[in-house]
Amino acid sequence: MKVALPRIEHDRSGFCHLTDFYAALRACDSELIEVDMSSCGWFDADMCSPLGAILYKLSRKLNEVRLTNIRPDVKKILCRNGFLLNYGEERLPDSYGTTIRYKRFDSKDDKDFTNYVERRLLGRAEIPRMSQGLARKFRESVFEIFSNAVIHSQTQYGIFCCGQYFPKRHRIVLCISDLGIGIKTNIRKTLDLDLPDDKAIEWATTDRNTTKRGTIPGGLGLKLLKEFIAMNKGSIQIVSEKGYWGFLEGHVRQAVFNHRFPGTVVTIDINTADTSSYKLSSEISEEDIF
Amino acid sequence: MSNAVTINVYEIVGSELCVAASDGQKVYDQIQTALQMKKMVLLTFRNVTGLTSAFLNAAIGQLYSTFDEVTIRAGLRVRDMNPEDRALLKRVVDTAKEYFKDPDRFKKANREILGDEHGKKGSSD
Repeated sequence: MKVALPRIEHDRSGFCHLTDFYAALRACDSELIEVDMSSCGWFDADMCSPLGAILYKLSRKLNEVRLTNIRPDVKKILCRNGFLLNYGEERLPDSYGTTIRYKRFDSKDDKDFTNYVERRLLGRAEIPRMSQGLARKFRESVFEIFSNAVIHSQTQYGIFCCGQYFPKRHRIVLCISDLGIGIKTNIRKTLDLDLPDDKAIEWATTDRNTTKRGTIPGGLGLKLLKEFIAMNKGSIQIVSEKGYWGFLEGHVRQAVFNHRFPGTVVTIDINTADTSSYKLSSEISEEDIF
Repeated sequence: MSNAVTINVYEIVGSELCVAASDGQKVYDQIQTALQMKKMVLLTFRNVTGLTSAFLNAAIGQLYSTFDEVTIRAGLRVRDMNPEDRALLKRVVDTAKEYFKDPDRFKKANREILGDEHGKKGSSD
């Protein structure tokens, strides 16, 4: 089976291309899959996260995946962040210090994940010195995405992370994908609500909505993330099954794709030059919490 | 036997970053046992530098499924939390109180938010 991969940017069309790509290959079982990248003139590094998730899922069905005709510039990007190590290439040095490595974590690897965030993301000299409040909120938001993916997706395949630092634009982009139950399916199974795929994502980002049942409450993770992104003037994009939901420059964008992503992707784009004070306007006493 | 017990979150989790709900569950188990023994729990977050709502939901939000507000207020104190973490814990606690008051309230509210056209039943497989 041979499938072409087009130009992939971290936007709605890039995600749409990846869902089309998966639709063309999802039925493959014990096949040789050739991903022809001759027409892929650009690949946003953080999109290695959803692409890696798709290819990992295909490999688990004993398909052998080969990436062919990779253009030199794209190959450099994918070798620097370690993505192509999965497909037989060697790592290239990160000479610009702008790479955030591609890595897969098992669901129980939360300690490894926190180390990845501390060492590969926040602890690096190349990353600009963010204000203490911003760095803290950024770190917490990333942890919320990870724990959300582990809890809600119930994935067996792990969590796929990748990012990129854009020093001139003062931006860090981080993408986290899972191959578990998508948001729409989770809401349908848990609450018996049948929502369009994009509305399901909107629902999950709305205050106090939760699919959690039983003794552990939930319903805060994605809302905290959305609040932070709004204050930071960053952006967030979520793809789950056929749904696309983006919160970009303060505006919500939604779409339903023709084909589904086999899980959920969350991409955050953080403004590292943000000088907002994340200090609380009033403090809560330890005696007033319960 | 002392009637007060200090539970050290850092020691239970083994990290200054408290992310996973499974680690929160370990903290919950300790608090729950102590409260059932009618002990006063001092929960210290000393040396903890990062928390998620998922962790706090499992560790503390879950207490409202087992104990009433009066018991929790009388038996649990938190210490060594920075103001931001206290604010997050307060949100977790308020959400948990509401959730356990009427778990179906969330479902009803969802239907109201989305309107009838999307509130119809889907398959329940």
